[in-house]
Amino acid sequence: MQQYIIRRILLNILVLFLVATMVFAFLRIDSDHVVNTKAAGCFTDLSGDVEQCKDVARADLGLDSSIPNQYLEYMTDLVQLDLGNTFSDKKPVLDEILARASPSIELGLLQIVVALIVALPIGIISAIRQDQWIDYVLRFVSIFFLGIPVFVVAVFVILITSRYFGQGDAFPFVSDWLGPHGLGWVEIWEDPIDNLKRVSGAALVGGMATGAIIMRFLRSQMLEVMRQDYVRTAWAKGLRERVVIIRHALKNALIPVLTVIGLLLGSVISGNVILETIYSIDGVGFYVTSAALQFDYPVLQGIVLVVALLLVFINLLVDIAYGWLDPRIRYS
Amino acid sequence: MAREQAVPSAAAPAPEFALPRRAKVWENVFKFIRKKPLGALGFFLIFFLIAMTLGAPKAKFGVPELPDSPLGFELGRPFMAPYGEEENFKNDAGRLNTHAAPTADHWLGTDGSGRDNWARIIWGARRSLFIGIWALALATLAGASIGVISGYFRGWLDTGVQRIMDALQSFPPLLTLILILTIRPFTSEPSLVVAAFALGFVGIPQVQRIVRGVVLSTREQQYIDAARVIGATDARTMAFYILPNIMASIIVVFSTGLGVVILAEAALAFLVPQAVPPEGASWGLMLDQAENDGLSTHPWPGIASASAIALAVLGFNLAGDALRDVLDPRLRLG
Repeated sequence: MQQYIIRRILLNILVLFLVATMVFAFLRIDSDHVVNTKAAGCFTDLSGDVEQCKDVARADLGLDSSIPNQYLEYMTDLVQLDLGNTFSDKKPVLDEILARASPSIELGLLQIVVALIVALPIGIISAIRQDQWIDYVLRFVSIFFLGIPVFVVAVFVILITSRYFGQGDAFPFVSDWLGPHGLGWVEIWEDPIDNLKRVSGAALVGGMATGAIIMRFLRSQMLEVMRQDYVRTAWAKGLRERVVIIRHALKNALIPVLTVIGLLLGSVISGNVILETIYSIDGVGFYVTSAALQFDYPVLQGIVLVVALLLVFINLLVDIAYGWLDPRIRYS
Repeated sequence: MAREQAVPSAAAPAPEFALPRRAKVWENVFKFIRKKPLGALGFFLIFFLIAMTLGAPKAKFGVPELPDSPLGFELGRPFMAPYGEEENFKNDAGRLNTHAAPTADHWLGTDGSGRDNWARIIWGARRSLFIGIWALALATLAGASIGVISGYFRGWLDTGVQRIMDALQSFPPLLTLILILTIRPFTSEPSLVVAAFALGFVGIPQVQRIVRGVVLSTREQQYIDAARVIGATDARTMAFYILPNIMASIIVVFSTGLGVVILAEAALAFLVPQAVPPEGASWGLMLDQAENDGLSTHPWPGIASASAIALAVLGFNLAGDALRDVLDPRLRLG
């Protein structure tokens, strides 16, 4: 096990190295565009001297040396956790990202919580009442949420809440809890209610979509486990239905589901670009779109690297947790 | 005597070892609709989407100055579209008929510039399908070739390829798309072709992973051993023995992938509108415009574009699920 973890960590470092190299290459496909964007502010100050502006920008970005030199410099910076400065206000990219991490993390975790609250009971009911009408209804609902993109659901939720439950209407709490709020962020320890109001709508919409995936997976796992011999033994012993389903079947069905949840956690973190933008939650995802609008390349590059790092290590943790929960799995 | 009885006479009809009657096409279709109603709904939505894109060809075949048209010629107004793409409408007072609710003339109302929403949805279908098909063509072509080769040869080649694919998969897809399309390789203006290729590029590792998995199990089959015994080269084995046998999986990957790509393109246009060409109707851009105009006061462009995106994605998902059940139960997950 220890050997496996060490090998995986080494492999992950290799993967991250490849990721960093690809990002480096992306930014050099069309470096003129990068230079022009960086120099854009300068054009207005010094009218006429365009080339000088570009040279300054190029030197700032380290684009004036040879490609191997640039690569070396880029990698040394990365190892020292220096992701460069933003184009817009020249602040360190890493600090800017970390400053926006807490809304994103909170939204991601809440989404998983919502997904579990929805998926666990529905998945179990739909499995133990297989092919009865309730199973069909629940499966159709889950296919609906799987098939319909998150941002479409979000747009409709916002449309309905703001149109029919807007300010001054009979049910202001609906738009309070489901609708978007203005920009600005309140930490949970400052004002828990206001904080939750800001993320609840997005968490609910995203949680339903994630929950649909978990529900489908849990249902098929439950069906498989319910056919196992030891479950039949449990029934034969005369145990109550609840004990058989929860203690014998669910416990074992949940193990593979946990890996799916772990993998979803990764996609939730990166997928929240859409929800954060629609709900104007000032997290990393929102930062991505606003940086893209201004062609702020260091920010985009930095966020891609940070999220890639997160994804790789979440996957590692999921694999380790999997082996720990299910002793039948042996890593070689 | 007994022997003579056993020999069927020439006049005896229908020997019992006759092949079962071949089902007619429409019988199969009905069987499919009965067995997989949701899948049939998916195919109906896809056919409707394709029908939306149809129109009379406008230019000569193979016109080089129209690189954005998938067939080498441009299609004229779609048969289903009642109005032109950019046609504005005026109301009785002579002003632009903006943000109208649905009427008999404008089935889904009009948008902020007085253009017909229903017509724009139909025009926009072309863009979605164009991007979807080109992106998936790249993703399946590259992903499947890499997957077949690395799954077939295994060993150090496979290990190396898998590490590169790991790296590609560690890129958060949406963020990578935003990064690529704001850098805009090879063009200074946003281009549909670049968008399609970027979307396809992001899909390569997913396709490769699935195909490689299927190849790993296929290559252990006896007919592959038999092919080697009769002296087939590696290239021949891959092309004529493995590829035909994994075609079902590739078709499934293609059909499910189309929905994913259409959704990704719409999401991208919605989030970062300047990453895609602004001219021409696009569902994602329509939704973005609708959100900027205020969904609560002018809901119709938003309802129209959001429903179009949702139905197209739903169609490809349902059809892909049904195809997978029918063609390749190996790929079934959850």
